[in-house]
Amino acid sequence: MSEIIPTLAIFWLLMVVSFILMKRGLSIFNDVAKGMVMFMLEKALGPAIDFVQGKPGSASRTWIMHGMIWAMLASILTFAGLWLSHDSTALHSLGAWGYSPDSHELMYAGRFAALFGAVGMMVIGAGLHVVPTLSGTNLASESNATLVSGLWTLSVLILVIGAHAKEILGVDIIVLGTALQILAMTAIILNQLLTISNATRPIAIPGWLIIFGLIGNPLAVVSVFLSGAYGTGVGQWLVYHMIGGTFFFCGIAGVSLYASSMGSGNPLWSRTLVGFTLFGALISINPMGSTDPSMAVDMLGLEASEISSSTQDHISGSFLMALAMIPVIAYSSNLLVTLRGTDAFVENADSPGIAEMNMGAWMLIPIAIGSLFVQTDALGGAGELSGISQTLDLLSLWAVLMPLSLGTALYVFPQVSGRKVLSVSRSRAAFWLMSGGAVAGLTFTIMADLNDMALIESLAENPSSITEELRILGSVTFYGTVLGSIFHCTNLISGQFRGEKLSEEVESSTSLSPHTYELTSSTSVRRILASGATLDTEVIPVSQSEEAGSATEL
Amino acid sequence: MSDQGSSQITEFIQGEKEPQSSSVVLALGVVASLSFLLLYGILYPGREMPVVSELLPMFEGVFDSGIWFFLLGAMLGIFAIIGTMLTEATSE
Repeated sequence: MSEIIPTLAIFWLLMVVSFILMKRGLSIFNDVAKGMVMFMLEKALGPAIDFVQGKPGSASRTWIMHGMIWAMLASILTFAGLWLSHDSTALHSLGAWGYSPDSHELMYAGRFAALFGAVGMMVIGAGLHVVPTLSGTNLASESNATLVSGLWTLSVLILVIGAHAKEILGVDIIVLGTALQILAMTAIILNQLLTISNATRPIAIPGWLIIFGLIGNPLAVVSVFLSGAYGTGVGQWLVYHMIGGTFFFCGIAGVSLYASSMGSGNPLWSRTLVGFTLFGALISINPMGSTDPSMAVDMLGLEASEISSSTQDHISGSFLMALAMIPVIAYSSNLLVTLRGTDAFVENADSPGIAEMNMGAWMLIPIAIGSLFVQTDALGGAGELSGISQTLDLLSLWAVLMPLSLGTALYVFPQVSGRKVLSVSRSRAAFWLMSGGAVAGLTFTIMADLNDMALIESLAENPSSITEELRILGSVTFYGTVLGSIFHCTNLISGQFRGEKLSEEVESSTSLSPHTYELTSSTSVRRILASGATLDTEVIPVSQSEEAGSATEL
Repeated sequence: MSDQGSSQITEFIQGEKEPQSSSVVLALGVVASLSFLLLYGILYPGREMPVVSELLPMFEGVFDSGIWFFLLGAMLGIFAIIGTMLTEATSE
């Protein structure tokens, strides 16, 4: 029986209904619904809401700061997991404290910390700045969004603990963490929907990417439950990839396209490609991620099942994953060309996040193609490439999702906090350490995986020493990611106190140039620049009347 | 002491500027201490280092894997972040 198409049909229907409701509203219930949601976001929380500031930008700043700290913790957990894959007793002395993790547990905890802690929090944090900016309004409730960042962090902490011990005192820890995360996610979705309901101008497509990324997450879960596919291996695999394609891919695409344009000062290269990114991401299945959907299974409290797809599921799944190359290539090319504009030089000293976004967009296409082969193989039941699945998943996490979300966060953070990072050169060093550590370290690990696969295929009895050497090299090289994330954290925190103020920069850059240039008739760009205008000068068209004038009355 | 005097003292002992040569002094200190450690080994061959030789056995079986070298670096990084937060918040 087919599982994929009916589940996706329900998902597409729910998405269309959501879009219509967002555009048309709830008719006569609009005001009541808005008032009730606002009450739930603020007053219903009682004194708790008074614990946080409601200053503009405070929510985004808090989410990004939490995300940065989670990035550092995720890199440490993943590094330790990689190390233990070749030296399983390295941390045995911690057993005296009752903590004896193995490689799998540390990697699993690292994935939770990286996906939901670092990437998730930075994307949501950037979205809390981007959506109100694109809507021409303020965030509906800064206080609530700031408050739920604590709840989300708590949920990620519980998930990280749950990765080590799934059940404590009879309580399923991962399900508990998921429940808290759903609560926080619901608050963020309601906040963002209320924000766009107060929009003063049409929202650009990157804004819709963020919104669909947010609502796509719960709708994907609802679709799988409505279709009844949640109990099958294919249904569990599908919900894992639907969440990856909506919340992570759409969310990152939305915020990074905005940041690439604003950070580089270039307009988005193609509006059509943004549309293709949005439409394609929703109708296709994103192949990136592990072949093992145990993360989604554990989070939803389901019984894990083997993937045994029917021929129809295999064909439709493979086709829809191949179709995902359209949004992937559209998004990647749009981002890369936007960063360059008319110039081949990408480096922008004022926007340290641009290097990260550039790297993430470059790595996206080859990793997505690699994931497509691995997932198609797994869905067909062959499993010949399953040996590299976990490392490829790590590579997509640390070489694509992390740089894109981190790059966006590095652009958005100064905008919401009013201060730049302390040192651009330290940011650049952190970028090289993080990207070099992740790409080189995980490439060495993939080489070890391939070596293991070849040995298994040739039925070799003795393990090869080169595999262990490659794993050692991979884990040591990955340590660069730990150092890079620590550098980023200290740079961001110090920048909050001693970084150059953005307002000062505006004042200094405009002291010798006009803020605005009034355009009364058609003219050339050369003339505008010759008048002393800079790239930041706002050109304002001034309408002229053809009516005859009269003498000025004194 | 007068108010003017106390303000002058505060100004003098604050040490707001950091001369580049101060790092040379620090490097010289590190090199000197390493040299004295080497000298101890030459002057008293076969004798264990005082204090250090008593402390090291406590960590036998604990830091017996190379991962601890890296994890100590990560811990230093975490403490650096916490330290940065505290010092930046209280420096005003």
